[in-house]
Amino acid sequence: MDVWLPFIVVGITAGAVYGLAGVGLVLTYRTSGVFNFAHGALATAGAYLFFELWVKNDVPWFLAAVISVLIVGVLFGFVLERVARRLAKAAPSVIVVATVGLLLIIQGITSKRYGAETITIDSFLPTETFEVSVNVGYNQLIIVLVGIVIAVGLGLLLSRTRIGIAMRGVVDDSDLMELTGLDGAAVRRLAWMIGGSVAVISGILLAPIVGLDPIRLTYLVVQAFGAAAIGRFRSLPWTFVGGLIIGVVAAIGQKLESEHTSLAGLPSSVPFFALFGVLLLVGKRGLPTAAPVRRQQPEHFAPLPLPIRAGAGIALGVVVIFLPNLVDARLAVYTSACGLAIMFLSLSLLVKMSAQVSLCHAAFVAVGAVAFSRLSTEANLPWFLALLGAGLITVPLGLIVALPAVRLAGIYLALATFAFGLLMENLIYRKSFMFPQGGTRDAPRPDIPGVGLANDKQYFYVAVAILAAVIVLVLILQRSRLGRLLRALADSPLALSTYGTGTTTTLMLLFAISAFFAGIAGGVIAVGNGAAGPGGLGSLQSLLWVAVIAITGMNLVRSSILAALALVVLPSYLADLDADYQAIGFGVLAILASLITASGFDPVTWIKDNLAGSSRVGTKGPIPQRGADAGWRRASSSRKAPAPAREEAPELAMSGGDR
Amino acid sequence: MTARTTARAESAGLHIENLVVRFGGVTAVNHLTMHAPIGSVTGLIGPNGAGKTTTFNACSGANSPSEGKITFDGHDLSGAPASARAKFGIGRTFQRIELYDSLTVAENVALGREARLAGVSPITQLIPRRGERAAIAKATEEAMAQCGITEVAKARAGRLSTGQRRLVELARALAGDFRLLLLDEPSSGLDATESDAFTTLLKSVVAELGIGILIVEHDMTVISGLCDYAYVLDFGQLLFEGLPNDVLTSDLVRKAYLGTEDLGIHAPDDEIVEANA
Repeated sequence: MDVWLPFIVVGITAGAVYGLAGVGLVLTYRTSGVFNFAHGALATAGAYLFFELWVKNDVPWFLAAVISVLIVGVLFGFVLERVARRLAKAAPSVIVVATVGLLLIIQGITSKRYGAETITIDSFLPTETFEVSVNVGYNQLIIVLVGIVIAVGLGLLLSRTRIGIAMRGVVDDSDLMELTGLDGAAVRRLAWMIGGSVAVISGILLAPIVGLDPIRLTYLVVQAFGAAAIGRFRSLPWTFVGGLIIGVVAAIGQKLESEHTSLAGLPSSVPFFALFGVLLLVGKRGLPTAAPVRRQQPEHFAPLPLPIRAGAGIALGVVVIFLPNLVDARLAVYTSACGLAIMFLSLSLLVKMSAQVSLCHAAFVAVGAVAFSRLSTEANLPWFLALLGAGLITVPLGLIVALPAVRLAGIYLALATFAFGLLMENLIYRKSFMFPQGGTRDAPRPDIPGVGLANDKQYFYVAVAILAAVIVLVLILQRSRLGRLLRALADSPLALSTYGTGTTTTLMLLFAISAFFAGIAGGVIAVGNGAAGPGGLGSLQSLLWVAVIAITGMNLVRSSILAALALVVLPSYLADLDADYQAIGFGVLAILASLITASGFDPVTWIKDNLAGSSRVGTKGPIPQRGADAGWRRASSSRKAPAPAREEAPELAMSGGDR
Repeated sequence: MTARTTARAESAGLHIENLVVRFGGVTAVNHLTMHAPIGSVTGLIGPNGAGKTTTFNACSGANSPSEGKITFDGHDLSGAPASARAKFGIGRTFQRIELYDSLTVAENVALGREARLAGVSPITQLIPRRGERAAIAKATEEAMAQCGITEVAKARAGRLSTGQRRLVELARALAGDFRLLLLDEPSSGLDATESDAFTTLLKSVVAELGIGILIVEHDMTVISGLCDYAYVLDFGQLLFEGLPNDVLTSDLVRKAYLGTEDLGIHAPDDEIVEANA
């Protein structure tokens, strides 16, 4: 037992911080309906500010902590409530995008200002130890006590006080609660400020334990997710206990890991297992239901007139053919944009066409890249067969991710796929069959008959051709029966299954097809880079991709190409723009795009209605009124006068409910 | 058991035997037995919270019964998933309209048929069989003409008024070629004129197609004008059953509606909504 105790002490200490972070997360989620992916980023921002004040400017640590909590926790909480208010009824993917946008901004700023390397920071709490039957540091004791006091305090606040009951009421029925004389916005603001402050406190407490590192602190949110899942996204005490469990299990795992190398990566994956497992086991019926969603109306698939499309196609073709001569050294960037566009097509099949979400697409791409590399170098398959094989090998992965899609919806699906991506990154990437020791694998270019291995220019054309083929397949899918089923599934899964479609099958097919294209994208990207490696295929990348695809419009093909250009081609022309500024830029755009989407404003419709004239046969225009002879609406003999409320505007009817 | 052994006409249609549905401690439907035959309109009425929608959801597979048995044309539906019931020939509309809002009216109606043809097999979901495309187009045309929505065929369903949306939902159900339609408060959200027109339409549909309809309604005028037979629910229990005129004159039913004289009261339904939400 003596061997284990020190690890348990460490685990409880870390677990108290995880639990605390989880408590703050659940508090804001339950009061606002907005699941904050940037909760860990708030902790990061608070911890860096604390570091800036305490270490760099010699402010006493206690004062530095208070200032950090006030500025980042309270002030950010105040601002976030204003943003969250506008997002509360938006689709889960919109909320993910907005909070990921905030995460990108904070991470970009901190890594720009302080660099990406881990900064070790001394403990500001006394590190002397006392002995129980194992040495315990006073700092550890204090951290655990702070955690318990805050968790219990918040639990009592929610269950015993008037404002706490208001906080619970505000999520169930905000309007009803306001009738009792309490200001719903004020209650929510308070919840966000408390949640933000708790996040900052957990960040400051964690900083001396793990060191200051923008990525690692941001991922505190994942431990918080795991803790929140154990609390079923509902109970504050259980969330705190969940944090303790995750901390202790991970610490015990760390001891085992040091003895058995086969367990590498397992301890740090404990929260992801908790998150993925609890979500899958509990299912959507056991979790708090989010507020009713107002779905973004997808752009209608009304094609432009044929001459315009043909003209644009020919012009685009000419540009693509001469592109290698025009861009010279930048050709590689355009080549990787082709691969990325294939990935974005695969992602938008989920996000745009079917109202699903995948926050693990980078894992699909990584598996595709490795599969391609091994099929072509080890199995010696011809190039195109290896690429096809890469797509097929990725399909089972898609089917695994379809499981949470069947069991869960909305934000919980997003969380489950995120957890799956993290599991892949932590456990699978480092295995010898993937990237041994984080290394890369060869990804050879195609051997063109009579020419030999393709050069840069020839490979660019190959990549364009593959992209074109995928676009054609996606367009066929969109017009096929499955395409119609998927669009219907996005609007009303209930109606679709009631009318006889097995939606489990539909979702399986969707994720299989999406994974297939992502696998192909992995191969194309790897060959473009010259090697298949884990770089740029972390879970954060999956988040970034979803954020980018969200801001480029609703048309699948156009938005995918735009997203790829914005992500790799555009930065190559802005020489001074480093990755951090790029992340900040995407973050700002993502937040703006989410707010615009959530407000119901559709720029494409607006442009068509207001600027583009009325020449196109409108599906947006007013519904033609039926003539009196048709007898439906205008039948003259009415017993009662029609109630004015029934004469509702089409916009009102759009919300789909009539209650 | 009796349904199997007696004449074929008896076993046709939807049979609910001793249905019990509980949510936690609440018994929403308590030992309900009823029959909705093919070729006629059966009404299911009752005040708010009587268990009408819960009964409906048990029939369409949106919730699962705690006790009892539901059969359709001799097939046991009690444990079948929602999609299987559609395969046997039961279609339904929803009290809270469930249209594919971003699709056009024509696409919505076509999916009434196509969703059923797509079924649960990955192959039929990917590749239509020979002749299905034509059958879908024909059924869509006919159903839209029948409901008088051909003019708005290209409009997006999400942009229509509630009255038109009800018609689109009905057209989608008709296109599905179902033998029995479950209509959940089709007149809610409609004004009196629209409601009358809807009743007329339903009558012509039953006469032309020979299908059966089980209709949940609030509005007594709809019931008396449309139904061949009616069941009255109150607090999850069968209160009364009989011809519409007998229902209207029943003292028991009057009492259940809080003693009011005007049985045509038209209030929004606040029934327990579970899977529907």
